[in-house]
Amino acid sequence: MATNDESKKVRKLQVRRFKPEENPEKHYLNEEKGLWAWMTTVDHKKIGLMYLGSIVFFFFVAGVLALLLRTELLTPARSFMDADMYNQVFTLHGAIMIFFFLVPSVPAVLGNFILPLQLGAKDVAFPRLNLASYYIYVIGALFTLFAIFTGGVDTGWTFYTPYSSTTSGGNIMAMTFGIFILGFSSILTGINFMVTIHKMRSPGITWNKLPLNLWGLYATSIIQILATPVLAITLLLLTMERMLSIGIFDPAIGGDPVLYQHFFWFYSHPAVYIMIVPGFGIISEVISTFSRKVIFGYWAIALSSLAIAFIGFLVWGHHMFTAGQSSLANMVFSFLTFLVGIPTGIKIFNWLATMYKGSIDLKTPMVYALVFLFLFTIGGFTGIMLGALAVDIHLHDTYYVVAHFHYVMMGGMVMAFLAGLHYWWPKMFGKMYSEFWAKITCAVIFVGFNMTFLPQFVMGAQGMPRRYFNYIDQFQSFHQFSTIGAYIMGVGFVMMAAYMIHSLVKGKPASSNPWGSRALEWQTSSPVPLHNFEHTPVIINGPYDYHKPMSEFQLGIAAKHGHHHAEEEVAVKVSKQEKE
Amino acid sequence: MSGHHISSAKFLWGVAISLFILTFLTVGVAYIHIPEPWNVVVKISIAAVKAVIVAAFFMNLWWDSKFNVMLFIMSILFFVLLVGITLLDTLYRVDPVPSF
Amino acid sequence: MSQPSAVEEKLEHLQHHFIDSDQQFEASKLGMWIFLVTEILFFGGLFAAYIVYRSWYPELYLLASEELDVFWGAVNTFVLIGSSLTVAMAIRSAQLNQIRGLIINLWITIGLAVTFMVIKYFEYAEKIEKGILPGAHYSYDGIAHEKANIFFSIYYMMTGLHGIHVLVGIGLMVWLVFKAKKKVFHSGYYTPVEITGLYWHLVDVIWIFLFPLLYLID
Repeated sequence: MATNDESKKVRKLQVRRFKPEENPEKHYLNEEKGLWAWMTTVDHKKIGLMYLGSIVFFFFVAGVLALLLRTELLTPARSFMDADMYNQVFTLHGAIMIFFFLVPSVPAVLGNFILPLQLGAKDVAFPRLNLASYYIYVIGALFTLFAIFTGGVDTGWTFYTPYSSTTSGGNIMAMTFGIFILGFSSILTGINFMVTIHKMRSPGITWNKLPLNLWGLYATSIIQILATPVLAITLLLLTMERMLSIGIFDPAIGGDPVLYQHFFWFYSHPAVYIMIVPGFGIISEVISTFSRKVIFGYWAIALSSLAIAFIGFLVWGHHMFTAGQSSLANMVFSFLTFLVGIPTGIKIFNWLATMYKGSIDLKTPMVYALVFLFLFTIGGFTGIMLGALAVDIHLHDTYYVVAHFHYVMMGGMVMAFLAGLHYWWPKMFGKMYSEFWAKITCAVIFVGFNMTFLPQFVMGAQGMPRRYFNYIDQFQSFHQFSTIGAYIMGVGFVMMAAYMIHSLVKGKPASSNPWGSRALEWQTSSPVPLHNFEHTPVIINGPYDYHKPMSEFQLGIAAKHGHHHAEEEVAVKVSKQEKE
Repeated sequence: MSGHHISSAKFLWGVAISLFILTFLTVGVAYIHIPEPWNVVVKISIAAVKAVIVAAFFMNLWWDSKFNVMLFIMSILFFVLLVGITLLDTLYRVDPVPSF
Repeated sequence: MSQPSAVEEKLEHLQHHFIDSDQQFEASKLGMWIFLVTEILFFGGLFAAYIVYRSWYPELYLLASEELDVFWGAVNTFVLIGSSLTVAMAIRSAQLNQIRGLIINLWITIGLAVTFMVIKYFEYAEKIEKGILPGAHYSYDGIAHEKANIFFSIYYMMTGLHGIHVLVGIGLMVWLVFKAKKKVFHSGYYTPVEITGLYWHLVDVIWIFLFPLLYLID
């Protein structure tokens, strides 16, 4: 067994400098060609891109559904769809956005692409499992599409019993089964990432030199592993309820519907942290890079991710304040909910402190990071209000909740995802996008977003219930303002698609390190070579040490028998986890 | 390395026999009729001892890295969280099951 | 790690992105342990439902468990513990390069697992005969409690899910036998045997709890 003194051991390594090759002729995108090679690839980068294609598709579908909803809400009465249709559309918007876009977006797309690069590994620990996760995701998605075309689902994305188990028409079986399958994709990705972070690190990457993006992904993996199985069993029970009427959740047969809500939220509350915590990781990377400054409070940020992951498991009952649970549980959950604010606040202040007196470079990813800080803080504060028991009785199931959720998910997580996408885009494709159009688009989305969701806070506080097809005339001006905002946001995303495609086709070639970052993924060429690094990287500095020269970040083990001679010798700590 | 512990055949048989004995014990206890809360406690304790024996000596956690042990404990801990906090609701409802 | 082994190292199993067999082995084992965590929480949901309903209706559990046959439950416990032993022996054989022993032990394990399922089948058949079915389909009137159907819903879900895990385990072990016959495993590489063993022991541990919780309430 690895003993404690071994972990303190220092090892001498013969190293030399490896400058990344600029605009390499061979890279992961062109080394293996053909559709078949793509579909059967075990390369984490290509799998990341396949996920990217899939989630963009689902984001588009669910986004169009959202625009349909907003269009319907232009007038207080029926505009163009009937109430049943409306129920189906908001259910699909929610279910697709959450299960097929938000949950896999950052971990499966950016995480897959970046995680091994930031570790200096050739791939994730289980590459075939990684590919399997992708196909499990696709199969789950097919079930869902099948459900949409064979009757749809109108229960809301939460599938509350007994409505979902008995009354509701539509194809709930196929939908829940699709999401059940999807859960396995999420679990397997989590396992893969955790093992990779533990076992596949390059020499010198100790826990305190791990990029904060990886701390975020690590915390996310923990939640995925601990929470997703409970969703799986819940949906399995729901399926059985519908198929065999087992009655555990059905009051007509003797069961308890609130128990379903406990099980469901035991997953689904931590699941919102599956969505947002990896976003925190991206924001840490971006803010440090574009402030040219070492991150403030490294351990505070790293450990607050783990703290959020843990506390996230203690607060699920705040979704059930009005569902008839005991008042004791209500009070305990309300109290615990406030605790989440602490680690989140710690993060926000550390990011602000990182920017303070930094040399801030307002490139697009940084602009998105600032948008994130602004919108996420609003979303977080309104969450505290909803967590307060007395206030929640008034605000529960109103547009206030809708606005809060969209501020944290869209304003928080999607902005973080866009920050990450713009930040790593040059690394992924070796092309730059138009900085000008990217910033214009960001402004359009920002304006559209706030126009859409700010009025919803007001409406909700005044009593506009969520999920309603009709409303009283009093709310019409708010709804119309909100709908116009949604269209503006839609235009923003079309603009983004346009300049991104332009970048792929005609973009200027990117250098290996366009942002001057010190992190490991930027010390290899853009696009990345098939096996990520031509050498085994050696890490002697932290990933945010901007006060140290770039050359110190490009060390790799000198080949023993090659014609390259070692340039120098460095001492790195031997970590228990890592291998020679 | 930690992962390559090889147990002797005798040892493995010993582990299995101790598990068999504990199974007899737990069936036996069921026929004694211990008063209400304690019969559950006794049976679950025996089961827990058996589970720990399996985990430690069949699954080799005894010789394994501490992180794997922690994972095992963590899963139990989160299960207890799920049950414990749910019971905070279900045990203290005014009406145990909403009547329909 | 770097000690030269007595047997000449075979390295066909080593995947390109790992540095050595040890790293690969440790990674696989850690992955399996994390998977077992998810399994525990997967069953955890059912155990939670069990506990909540038991806290509501303790008398129901006393009455309903009398329908379960302690004798066959105990036999199945012995069968599963025995199969855990043979799996552990199989791993030991692989570690010692005794491929014949490995295959024999795997076959015994498969046999015990099948025995378990056969006993389970007779238990189910006997109940279904009586009309003890889950939830709304419940039609037995031998238990004087209006929620008896819920107990059996939980019973069928728990033992059914456990049974599915046993079937998966049988499948995995048949696959291991095929691999072993092709001489894939040796003392330097037996990772699939080891991690299947871990899975099988967990299935055993779950049964160790199911037995007293369902059969031995009184």
